[in-house]
Amino acid sequence: MMYQKMLTSLLLGTMLVGPAMAQDNMDKLTNMQKTDATFTFVDQEGDRAESLKKIAEQINLPDGFEASLYAVVPDARSMAMAPQGTVLFAGTRKDKVWSIVDRDRDRVADQVKDFAPSITFDIPNGPCFSPDGFLYIAERNRVLVFPAAEFFFEGPDPAVGVVVAQGELVPEAEESFNHTARVCDIGPDGKLYISLGQPYNVQPIEKIEMYDEIGIGGIIRINTDGTGREVYTRGVRNSVGQDFNPATGELWWTDNQVDGMGDDIPPGELNRQTAAGQHFGFPWTNSRVEIVSEADAPRPEGVEFVEPQLELTAHAADLGMRFYHDKSFPEEYHGGIFWAQHGSWNRTTPVGARVMFTALDPETGDAMGAQVFADGWLDESTGEYRGRPMDIEFLPDGSMLVSDDFAGAIWRIAYNPKPAE
Amino acid sequence: MKSAVITILGGLLLAGGAHAEDLGDRDEGRKLASQCRTCHGLDGYAQIPIAPHIGGEPASYIRAQLTAFRDGTREHEMMSIVAKMLSDQQIADLAAWYSGHRVQVALTQDPSAAPEQCVACHGADGLHVAEDVPNLAGEANIYIDTQLKAFRNGKRQHDIMTPMAQSLSDSEIREIADWYADIGLEIELVE
Repeated sequence: MMYQKMLTSLLLGTMLVGPAMAQDNMDKLTNMQKTDATFTFVDQEGDRAESLKKIAEQINLPDGFEASLYAVVPDARSMAMAPQGTVLFAGTRKDKVWSIVDRDRDRVADQVKDFAPSITFDIPNGPCFSPDGFLYIAERNRVLVFPAAEFFFEGPDPAVGVVVAQGELVPEAEESFNHTARVCDIGPDGKLYISLGQPYNVQPIEKIEMYDEIGIGGIIRINTDGTGREVYTRGVRNSVGQDFNPATGELWWTDNQVDGMGDDIPPGELNRQTAAGQHFGFPWTNSRVEIVSEADAPRPEGVEFVEPQLELTAHAADLGMRFYHDKSFPEEYHGGIFWAQHGSWNRTTPVGARVMFTALDPETGDAMGAQVFADGWLDESTGEYRGRPMDIEFLPDGSMLVSDDFAGAIWRIAYNPKPAE
Repeated sequence: MKSAVITILGGLLLAGGAHAEDLGDRDEGRKLASQCRTCHGLDGYAQIPIAPHIGGEPASYIRAQLTAFRDGTREHEMMSIVAKMLSDQQIADLAAWYSGHRVQVALTQDPSAAPEQCVACHGADGLHVAEDVPNLAGEANIYIDTQLKAFRNGKRQHDIMTPMAQSLSDSEIREIADWYADIGLEIELVE
């Protein structure tokens, strides 16, 4: 009792100012009022930028492509380009969302600063835009919306609304740090799709049913006002990359597979979803590798597990993905999928740290096969990473951006073939 | 009341000290650290936000945590897998390697504003004041936040940290996390 009392008095002295302020800020911002928050700017010149430019020289690409440093962005994770192409947003697994601007359009960012410094973010990994310019940010356990973010980002106090309140994305008892890097997308139906990784390597059997009902180890969809929640995708382990095929409206997503079964199984996955509610097998299967036996936990009734489109290098960590629907890359890339492989964390010989590509079969719409598009972020002589690609986005000119949370950079890959001599 | 907390720590300290400190072989630890460095760095400076900085931690703390991951009394999706195959000797070797690096911190705030319930063990500057206590300087705020919540909800257990965390609200936890995350940390690799 006395202990409690002592703590309380200490807290009054040292800490109450902060939390009260943070809550006030949310209240103020939802009422379009000002706070006294200030920006953190990231230096785009100097030693850091110079050493990153040297890494860009190590990136291997198909003929005619060039890699360069687009921006210095600490901890850069999932990205979202504003619909009018004015500003790029990148989430982190820490407490910042970065706004990245190239005002002079020379394809190198000239201003990187934190977005909405007045808000206390908690693992704001996943930004995504609606076509009409609402920026959604999926955090560990909350979803916020910022109307007209591509204009309001210039000031420290953007308008904000709460889509999913703190603690309502997943039960607080299921919160973790790992596997809580959410990604989001607005679907062709105008709903918000949010991945919810399950926090374990393999979830305990007694949690399988609860997770399935909530959509942990799945992808949920909700209306953009937070209502109408349903589990859209079942049987996922931890997906940190998704995109809708603009040609068909189908959701495709990557998945990260079970650790601790050896260097070469289970394979990574690229999945194609053709209907709401499909089940992709986890935790019973990863691809065709059995994880939890039916003897230990009965499979859900009335579902057939959907097999992955592609089985990928085990433990390479396939993360952010995007369909290519611009024009400046050669035609063989049009309509295909690029995705980032983050690289393995405990494989005996490291693999990954690449950008991968697959074309789709024009008849069936299925993925035709993974090929390496870009590599060189892994120093194979020492097994050390120079960088770790995390997500893919595109500039309005059709060139590619690759976020890298290890190097703290966003790389640009452009097609600039040398004219024939 | 503060003195009571220190007395409890004193007891823990003695228990920790009962293990011989110099059992670990740093050269062996350095070799084993190739399994750790993708996340924790060879010098113990974390490479990803979900991993803590472990360079310069007390060997007793590193040993206790690796043992807890191995034995299943502390769980983490990644650490439970890698620790499972470690012997006592290997744990001691890793603790010797990582604890042996030199740590420097830069506290720019007024130390008197440090969270008072933490400083007796973790210091105002986030450097351990006692054995079997982690450094907190420069950890990602979300890491500290996550650990305090794990103590609060029982996922992680500790005689002192459990009741401490149970008395904290979400925003109080974040304030503490921000204090320690804000401290500059450099780790100098010592061969």
